[in-house]
Amino acid sequence: MQQEPIDPQGLTWTRVSPSYTKVRLVGWGIGALLMLLVLCVPLVLRLTGVWAGFPLWLAIVAPALTLLIDLIRLMLIPRQVAAIGYAEREDDLLVRQGLMFQKVLVIPYGRMQFIDVAVGPIDRMLGLCKVKLHTAAADATAEIPGLPLAEGTRLREALTARGEARLAGL
Amino acid sequence: MSSGPTPESGFISESAPDPTEPWQRVHPASPLVRGWLAVIAVAFVYGQNMLSSLVEGEDPYPAPEVVSQTPLLVPLLIGAGILLLVLLGFFGTWWFTKYQITDRHVNVNSGMIFRQQRQARIDRVQSIDIAQPLVARILGLAELRFDVADSGSSAMHLSFVKLSVARDLRTTILARAAGRPSVPAVQESESGSAARPVAEPNPEAGVATAPAAGTEERVVLRVPVARLIISMVLRPVSITLVLGIIAAAVLMSLIDGFTPFYLLPAFLGMGTALWNNLNTGYNFTAATSAEGLRLSYGLLDTRHQSVPPGRVAAIKISAPLLWRKLGWYKMSVNVAGIGGDDANDGGSRSVLLPVGTFEDVLAVLSVVLPDPGTTNPREFFAAAVNGAGTEFGFITSPARVRPLAPLAHARQGYALTTTALVARNGALHRTLAIVPHARTQGLSLKQGPLARRFEVADLYLSTIAGPVTPMVRQLDIGHGRELFLEQADRAAAARKTSDSNHWLEKGV
Repeated sequence: MQQEPIDPQGLTWTRVSPSYTKVRLVGWGIGALLMLLVLCVPLVLRLTGVWAGFPLWLAIVAPALTLLIDLIRLMLIPRQVAAIGYAEREDDLLVRQGLMFQKVLVIPYGRMQFIDVAVGPIDRMLGLCKVKLHTAAADATAEIPGLPLAEGTRLREALTARGEARLAGL
Repeated sequence: MSSGPTPESGFISESAPDPTEPWQRVHPASPLVRGWLAVIAVAFVYGQNMLSSLVEGEDPYPAPEVVSQTPLLVPLLIGAGILLLVLLGFFGTWWFTKYQITDRHVNVNSGMIFRQQRQARIDRVQSIDIAQPLVARILGLAELRFDVADSGSSAMHLSFVKLSVARDLRTTILARAAGRPSVPAVQESESGSAARPVAEPNPEAGVATAPAAGTEERVVLRVPVARLIISMVLRPVSITLVLGIIAAAVLMSLIDGFTPFYLLPAFLGMGTALWNNLNTGYNFTAATSAEGLRLSYGLLDTRHQSVPPGRVAAIKISAPLLWRKLGWYKMSVNVAGIGGDDANDGGSRSVLLPVGTFEDVLAVLSVVLPDPGTTNPREFFAAAVNGAGTEFGFITSPARVRPLAPLAHARQGYALTTTALVARNGALHRTLAIVPHARTQGLSLKQGPLARRFEVADLYLSTIAGPVTPMVRQLDIGHGRELFLEQADRAAAARKTSDSNHWLEKGV
């Protein structure tokens, strides 16, 4: 994994499963399709003459622009997935994400309140899961998507054990 | 809420109530205090109908034909029926609301048809407020509000009991929450009062509980009414309001047919904001006691709340531009259980000091942050609140971010004490956030494309939800990266030596 300026030094990031790209692709496909369908409604109405007053250029530009943005997002997905990483240190868990807007989050094990493991329908087909760590602060919630099920379970057990060992109050 | 994963450790637990402790009822007038507005509304509507059917002709709103033609007996019967239903409802809610305080739990049962049993672990109670809405105040009643370490939605209420009872209950529960062993005298006075209706005065209670917990308090500061009003005038919202009124007047004289009616909602909103400010800042008094900082305030509705120092997750001191000449500051905190949302009055309840001098700020700080971790707190916080540059160990944004933050770049930065991280921000509206290492929940380092060009990053410190969002803006990236990991280590180390549960017992 490429070292970004924001990444703390001396860490080895564990990347999430590359097949998580497929999950993101499906999500992208559904979202883009729905948006495009909605935006094409004026165009269809204009062409069939139902809504003749609608400016034709707007009816064309709006879906075209959306399509362009969607395509750029599509090209970014594999790199975005590759940018997700996590690292377990002795006392805390680090999670990084983002290409354009990068973010590194650190959560000490003792601060964990509970851990979720969530599996969506496409995750299930690919044998993936998402691990979510909650703390008492809403913005300190670490999300690691696209983990292989076995790794997700291992992480959950390991984090719970470490959380109990370093248990702290609020 | 607990850090442990077991369901037992949650605030609201499933275990059965202790059968040995007596159950007590709230004051019989409670439903009336809560529902007086509805009663008056019903009475008003009904009374108007009655009047209009009685006095025909003089009525500006002619009643419908049906009403005016019915005999007098029928509306009377309907009225009596409604009254009976309301009274029955009131009696029912009163009858089915019971509470019990044991050594480890507070139980409140309520609800007539949909019954609810709530159990709170005493050692998870963050603080207890005594609130007195206007009507309750007239009747000498008070509501107890338990705050728990939660996002704030599931706070438990006990409304209403007599003010003296409320005070005793608070002292007892807080003493137990702080981990002090309960004194037998308290137990006796409670079981003694249980035999009698709560409405009856309980003279021994105050005496019996007095030695159990610190009822003695020392007033630290009062906010003079004049200062509060001047500070309100100097708030942006008041100035907007005045400008808005002037603009409306000008528009009215210039444009035919323009009525200020269109601006009314905006004016109303601003007026409400100012009113809340006055209502919650009026007669503001802060005092120290064994259970931490005690605040009391209120014009029509009064409230007494306490802020235990061990529960404070972050402190903010702000100096708005227009207050600066007068040397005034405002302080707010993030405390577990209060939250920052208006649904739980988080906005007003997290204010530690609505407006005060630097001396007031230091006085409050000394209570909520007993160990600031610096040798000369006065000079340090003076520099932190008003200063700029690198004095007192402050590390500011590099000079290259001048295009991004032309005014603030020399001021925004952070300093470390042995117990807390202090983040300084803002040039016009100056703010200072203090986050104890032991209360840091997590850290994140963020960098957008523009920040990447300038080789800087923002560091966010995550704490329990509240009005304070501590962040260090535009730190040099190399430095930020180091601070990020160092601060995580520091937070982990500080946590190992402190536990905020049973905060009175040091070292537990």
